Amino acid sequence: MIEFHLDARSGVAPYRQLIHQVRHALRLGLLREGDQLPKVKDVVAGLAINPNTVLKAYRELEYEGLAAARPGIGTFVTGTLDGGSLAAHGPLRRDLARWLARARRAGLDDESIEALFASTFRSASEEDIA
Amino acid sequence: MIWLTWRQFRVQALTAATALAAFAILLAATGPHLASLYAASGITGCHGGSCVAAPVAFLNQLQATSPYPIVYLLGIALILVAPAITGIFWGAPLIARELETRTFTLAWNQSITRTRWLVVKLTLTGLAAMAVIEALSLMYAWWADPIGKATGLGASTSVFNGGRFSSLIFATHGITPLGYAAFAFALGTAAGALIRRTVPAMAVTLAIFAAAQIAMPLGVRPHLIPPDRTIATIESVDLDFGSLTATVVPGQPGAWLISSGAINAAGQPVSNLPAACQAAFSGPKPSSPGPCLESRGYREAITYEPASRYWPLQWIETGIFLALALALAGFCFWWLGRRRT
Amino acid sequence: MSAVIETDGLGKRYRRQWALTDCTLSVPAGHVVGLVGPNGAGKTTLLSLATGLLAPTAGTIAVLGGTPAAGPAQLARVGFLAQDAPVYAGLPVADHLKLGARLNPGWDAGLARGRVDRLDLDPGQKAGTLSGGQRAQLALTLAVAKRPELLLLDEPVASLDPLARREFLADLMEAVAEQDLSVVLSSHLVADLERVCDYLIVLVGSRVRVAGPVDELLAAHHLLSGPRRDPDKLPDGLEVISASHTDVQTTLLVRTSGPVLDPAWTMSEIGLEDLVLAYMSQAAGRRRRDSHHHLEVQK
Repeated sequence: MIEFHLDARSGVAPYRQLIHQVRHALRLGLLREGDQLPKVKDVVAGLAINPNTVLKAYRELEYEGLAAARPGIGTFVTGTLDGGSLAAHGPLRRDLARWLARARRAGLDDESIEALFASTFRSASEEDIA
Repeated sequence: MIWLTWRQFRVQALTAATALAAFAILLAATGPHLASLYAASGITGCHGGSCVAAPVAFLNQLQATSPYPIVYLLGIALILVAPAITGIFWGAPLIARELETRTFTLAWNQSITRTRWLVVKLTLTGLAAMAVIEALSLMYAWWADPIGKATGLGASTSVFNGGRFSSLIFATHGITPLGYAAFAFALGTAAGALIRRTVPAMAVTLAIFAAAQIAMPLGVRPHLIPPDRTIATIESVDLDFGSLTATVVPGQPGAWLISSGAINAAGQPVSNLPAACQAAFSGPKPSSPGPCLESRGYREAITYEPASRYWPLQWIETGIFLALALALAGFCFWWLGRRRT
Repeated sequence: MSAVIETDGLGKRYRRQWALTDCTLSVPAGHVVGLVGPNGAGKTTLLSLATGLLAPTAGTIAVLGGTPAAGPAQLARVGFLAQDAPVYAGLPVADHLKLGARLNPGWDAGLARGRVDRLDLDPGQKAGTLSGGQRAQLALTLAVAKRPELLLLDEPVASLDPLARREFLADLMEAVAEQDLSVVLSSHLVADLERVCDYLIVLVGSRVRVAGPVDELLAAHHLLSGPRRDPDKLPDGLEVISASHTDVQTTLLVRTSGPVLDPAWTMSEIGLEDLVLAYMSQAAGRRRRDSHHHLEVQK
């Protein structure tokens, strides 16, 4: 069973953070179809947050088709996220590592690498939308 | 709620029980010998002159025998002080302690109303106070009965000098201790509710109760039932040596002599021995100025309550204090119900 | 959903001062309500009125549809945890539980025992020797084990260290999730409540300044910044909560239901703490203006 954590200063609403963490776990294969999500009372006991926050996150996951509530038992994963097959991750990771090595050899520091990646990512996304 | 009352009251209850037991042991240890002294004194079945001499001899013997004078005085002191103690240590903290420590937020948010909380606490603790003090009084009355019989026949010594109407004896025998116990306890509780702090409430309770305990015999008791008045001859009243006050009410054995004073032939009160009669009093062999006063037409004006009024007075005095206790308890309920703080 | 607390013009006066003035609220069920305000604002007074420890001077209050402390049934439905969690110092923990069992017909002994075990409280230990956090947990156990529908807590974490505070709130949230409780907790620090509250009431100077669900309030309040405007010439139609001006810039905190169309303003979001602070300073500003007005009138 996965465990949630909360970044109180991230500016992202707590329920959104929970949703992100479930989706992330799904992508990484930590959560599979049929697995039970943590019980509401266990989540709030660990994080000291309002139960309604957890309920809102679980409801949204249900709406997205990723989970389903079974009354009296809990909430269970029903869907998967298309993150591409895991098989594609390996080559992509190796390509990324090579690119990072080239960026460093070109003299870019950490901040410049992050800025370059972020701006390229943004413009590529906008192109996709357009 | 009964459990909670007991649990919070446990220490006080055990203290009272221990004190009661200790006193009972003391009385049980000394009582039988006192009874045997009394049996040997010949007071029972006396008649005529022996009924004057025997009691005096008995009391004198008793006074010389330790520890009887101490136990006698200790008992009276205990019964006089006990109501004040229960008022201070049982009554004052009842409400005040809860307010002071803020535990009332706990006590009054359980599934019982404030009223029920107070009813149980007041009733159980108040009845316990009354029971303890009355038990003290009854034990002591059993023990001191021989002494009471002797003083009832008119005998008195420096220690054993109270007839049953005397201030100290009246308030510690019969049923008056019940009234005092109830009154002191209710007074403590009301003071605690009003003042909201335990120690100041204790002080106020002590002050008011002590004042009441003093005021009652001095100013109130003589007027509970309008006393009888009579005018008697100087001879018949057996003047107190060196004064113009009577020592007996003629024809009224066991009466409560409230006040007396000489009046002259014209009916005016007199406070000093007239010059003419002082000769009898001074000199190598002083004798009673009685005959001298009589011959001048002096008589004694006496205010008294006959012996038959003992129990009516007991009931009235107890009733007054019980009524005050109920009024104070009612005040506590009203005060709590106001919910101002 | 029905209201757990419903007040209409509720007021409470002590001698000559009004501790609570003209309070009209309708607090919905199923929320954890944060009652926030500076010390002396009237939070304890409002909670005491809701539990029935105080009676109103003006107006009315209904809790779970009934009059506070009207009878044993009403008292059973509302749990209360007073400031600093008073307990009977001379009574051991086990006797406190016995108190709860004897005085509450709805007492859940298993729940109480389970909590005491989980919290590692020694049943034989006298409550006076417990730490602040342990006392708060004991008092919470007493309040929760009688299975109320509504739980009222007065500054429950104010005097607790950060770890005890986190444990207490986590524990409280678990009880809320398990028992479907509605909760109202007061604090003079918003930071304590941000994680757990989804409904907010701001009480300043004996009056309610703002009340509503947290996400609605955050969505309705915006920080507008733009070139400096004359303080008297602020745009109409905007409810300005607070305003600050430098020589070149004006920053406003506004409450609005629709978008702000004027392009001169840059709109940004606001956090809960800043929202509450803005209402507190608004109240302070009004008090200062009122006292100024009084001084002028006196001249």
